[in-house]
Amino acid sequence: MDRSSQTTGKDEKKGLIFNIQRFSVHDGPGIRTTVFLKGCPLSCLWCANPESQLFFPNLMVREINCRGCGACLLACLAGAITLEDGKRRIDRDRCDHCLKCVDACLYQSLNACGKYVGREEVLEEVFKDSVFYKNSSGGVTVSGGEPLYQAEFTAALLAGCKKAGLHTALDTTGHAPWEAMEEVLRFTDLVLFDVKHLDPAAHRRGTGVDNRLILENLMKISGRAVLWLRVPVIPGFNDSGDLIRDIADLGKRAGAEKISLLPYHEGGRSKCDQIGKAYRLPETNPPGEDLLNRLKGIVEEAGIRAAIRS
Amino acid sequence: MRAAGDIKSKLVVKAVRNVQRGYTSDDEGSRGMFRPEIRLDLQRSRLFTESFRQTDGQAMVLRRARALAHVLEHMDIFIRDWERVVGYQTSIPEGLYHPIDMNWRSVKRLVNSEAGKSLLDDMGRKELDELCAYWQGKCMSDRHQEAFGGDLAKYWRYEGTFLWSHWSELGLPDYEALFKTGLDGRIRLAEERLAAIEREIPPDYIGQKEFLQAVIIVLKAVNKFARRYAALAREMAASDPDPGRKAQLEEISRTCDWVPANPPRTFLEAVQFFYFIHLVRYLEYSTLGIGIRFDYLLGPYYERDIREGRLTRDEAREILQLLWVKLMELGLVYSPLLTSVYGGVASLQAVTLGGTDSEGRDITNDLTYLVLEAAREMRTIEPSLALRVHDGTPDELLYKAVEVIRTGVGYPSLFNDRALVPLLEKWGVPPEEARGYAVSGCVYMDIPGKNITRRVVGYFALPKCLWWALHRGVNPKTGEQWGAETPDPASFKSWEEVLEAYLEQVKFFTGKIAQLENTCRDLYARYCPRPFYSAIVDGCIERGLECKQWSYPSMVHDFIIVIGATNVADSLAAIRKVVFEDRLVTLPELIAVMDRNWEGREDLRQACLNAPKYGNDDDYADLIAREVHHRTEAAMETVRDRFGYSMRGDGSAVSATYGLSADTPATPDGRLDGGPFSDSTLAPQPGMDKRGPTAVLNSCAKIDTLKTYNHLLNQKFPPRFLEGEMLPVFVNYIKAWREMGIPHIQFNVVDRETLLDAQVHPEKHRDLIVRVAGYSAYFVDLTRGLQDHIIARSEQGF
Repeated sequence: MDRSSQTTGKDEKKGLIFNIQRFSVHDGPGIRTTVFLKGCPLSCLWCANPESQLFFPNLMVREINCRGCGACLLACLAGAITLEDGKRRIDRDRCDHCLKCVDACLYQSLNACGKYVGREEVLEEVFKDSVFYKNSSGGVTVSGGEPLYQAEFTAALLAGCKKAGLHTALDTTGHAPWEAMEEVLRFTDLVLFDVKHLDPAAHRRGTGVDNRLILENLMKISGRAVLWLRVPVIPGFNDSGDLIRDIADLGKRAGAEKISLLPYHEGGRSKCDQIGKAYRLPETNPPGEDLLNRLKGIVEEAGIRAAIRS
Repeated sequence: MRAAGDIKSKLVVKAVRNVQRGYTSDDEGSRGMFRPEIRLDLQRSRLFTESFRQTDGQAMVLRRARALAHVLEHMDIFIRDWERVVGYQTSIPEGLYHPIDMNWRSVKRLVNSEAGKSLLDDMGRKELDELCAYWQGKCMSDRHQEAFGGDLAKYWRYEGTFLWSHWSELGLPDYEALFKTGLDGRIRLAEERLAAIEREIPPDYIGQKEFLQAVIIVLKAVNKFARRYAALAREMAASDPDPGRKAQLEEISRTCDWVPANPPRTFLEAVQFFYFIHLVRYLEYSTLGIGIRFDYLLGPYYERDIREGRLTRDEAREILQLLWVKLMELGLVYSPLLTSVYGGVASLQAVTLGGTDSEGRDITNDLTYLVLEAAREMRTIEPSLALRVHDGTPDELLYKAVEVIRTGVGYPSLFNDRALVPLLEKWGVPPEEARGYAVSGCVYMDIPGKNITRRVVGYFALPKCLWWALHRGVNPKTGEQWGAETPDPASFKSWEEVLEAYLEQVKFFTGKIAQLENTCRDLYARYCPRPFYSAIVDGCIERGLECKQWSYPSMVHDFIIVIGATNVADSLAAIRKVVFEDRLVTLPELIAVMDRNWEGREDLRQACLNAPKYGNDDDYADLIAREVHHRTEAAMETVRDRFGYSMRGDGSAVSATYGLSADTPATPDGRLDGGPFSDSTLAPQPGMDKRGPTAVLNSCAKIDTLKTYNHLLNQKFPPRFLEGEMLPVFVNYIKAWREMGIPHIQFNVVDRETLLDAQVHPEKHRDLIVRVAGYSAYFVDLTRGLQDHIIARSEQGF
């Protein structure tokens, strides 16, 4: 089912978000609030927030919280929920994500991921932590999903933040039309730009999309905003020293100020369970600290500031 | 120079281990109340009693002065081979002190129980019996019970709404004045006053004369006590073959000959002076939580010694570490009920650092930093460090403080001058004195040197007041009218009406506490005068009045520790949402379900748990919390103490949020019967703050310190948030806290996994320290329930 039309549909002013994370300290400098927009054109195998890829508000299920009370059964109009011997079953194919069951659930077993919100509502939440931004040189970060997929909303949101004097950051996959990025950059102080791989075939294998557009966009940012690169370090995919060195060189050419190495973690697996989707990355261990430090050293050798996890 | 590890090995841990919850003793009651090597030392009790037998018929102030003098003159003293700061509270190093003149029943019960039998041998138990026989009807606790009739007797017994106790008499000595004149100067002052009353013959001539004579007796005895140490050190020096140690013993001898009779001339003399005064306070009167404004008072001595080449920084650090060992040596026997309030505590001493002088100028000096370094190396549960933070606090000091916080010891705990100095001014403290405040206990503010003697008068479970409001003040089990007669809950049309009924209950029980307090105040002034303490604060000798006969003119002194305001707020938010907005249930139905501890209606409990909760920066619940806090304080302030000052709240919390919650049945916030309350006045209920640490601070900031009292806020962070690139972020978080004017914050920095592992393998985590309330404790010493309560606190950071 495709509900993506809703994001650009009847109400232009609203954005689809799935989280507003306060005291966000790894998405740019200082203490920040990160607004996560929903919907992503990439489908990275290691994605830690697979629920963010969908372009509509969807149902998430935490089986462990279910007490078998049956309240959701009565709420479900699609007939997707059954209860046998106190054990609830959800037919994902029948579920149309109307989310009525979420309202009925008392135990946080059924939860909604994503809601449409107006810019002012988000700004109000963002401004609540202004005293922390001020004291820590922090600010606001818009992340995703891919925020440029909702470029109009993102630009409006960041413009509101700039107007209030906040430091703004955009966390992007880079996979968006340049026009969209250009518009958003008008209100962006810092871009956190993901670079996952330099080889187009490998990139397509890992993320589902080609990296040509991404790399083209990367080279255009210089001078428009401060640039930090972010590399999710996925063992067996992009953890070779040579590749990291190439990425660092690219970063240098693109004028990046810092490269963050974000070690793979398995957080996406349980999220996949919650949205009823298969986790497609084969069993992979997080990279060891030795490896991370070695890669960090490689980046630093190339003359760029490097950090692990932030 | 000794390594810190070497000094650390000298630490003795006298903290109480058991935590009884209310009157229930099922919580590991059979475990030793103290560590097995700890003994009850009877010397003070023996000497005190000996003197009392000889002074029958004399004025009480003289009797107590002579009894203390007798102890100081005859208690066995010793100097261990590594000490440079001397003085001991008991006659043996593992000794605990017990104030038999206050209460003998609980100690007698204790040493005859499983939990306390290791404290005394059979001979000791026999002697204790004889001593107790003398104090029957004479100790303070007996005098209370005999004095109380009618309602007083009824509400004196702990029922679960409040615990009244007279234990706490605090206040900080006027070290600044004492350091200027020495105790000899105070003796001269008393002699001059004596001479003056001989000329003036005031109406209270006899009372003044007896008091001043008592002052002179004790002060001379303290000087003599110090000189006994001087003589012992001299004797030991004569026979010590090690020239290094001989020199140290000679130094001890010179020091103790000079202080506290005379003004200290060096840093070491100042430290020794302080310690003698500190120690004798404990010998005169058993209490907890006393402290000193350390860097402000001792910094000038340290800096002068350094400047003049008498002292190196390393040597000063060693002296500090040796002092830390001494401070850890103080410990008391507790009544089992008080362990529910002071779980894991030894003496709850606080060392205040930083802040400003009377003009508002920052007082940070190198000793401030050195104390932080020494404390970090010692990792002791006491003294707790209280760092006063103000707009002019150097960033460097904040970073240094976070380095200590990061080790997980739970201190320094941070006090915000922005909030607290105006609060003190509101309580009638002149600005220049307010700027000199220091911390004692958990978060009490003392004005150094002022006669602020009586402190905590009770511990007050606010959720129980709400519970009474939902039951018209009638105990449903017995039918007895115990609280105020408030309207039938069936008649309540809004949550505001529930709030009004709750406030009626608050007023009612505050009145009961005040009645108990006012009667005992007189009793203590009469039977438990404190000539020594009176002699070392400002104004008693000058007036010829013992410290309990008058009071520093401010409502800073007497207060009631309030617990569970968050639970009251969350309960009212749940009533508003579930009963009056969503109409899932009527109020009487909800109360009926609560009264059977939610049995059969888990759905209703979930609905209550899902209602908005304080601590998420959500005005729905936060504004109710604000209303609860502000109006609870206003209700308490309508009640007056015997000096005419308003009763007020205090956010100290101690372990009462766990220990005294046992007797509050289920509450509408979804809390179960006997479940713990939120762990401090500003803290959200554990697990209910879901929007992170900035949201918590925003919620806290909605509660106006000026309309309430001094608060306590615990935050728990995993260690990685205070390291590397996160360190400046964390310091900046503290700066935002300062700007927001939140009065207090302290941190537990520990991984959940470590705590869980320590429950399974206590032997591997003997050194693991956690912050309980305004004090730190060894995690493995805490009972399981209190451990769980700490583990349950929400961990911040993502």
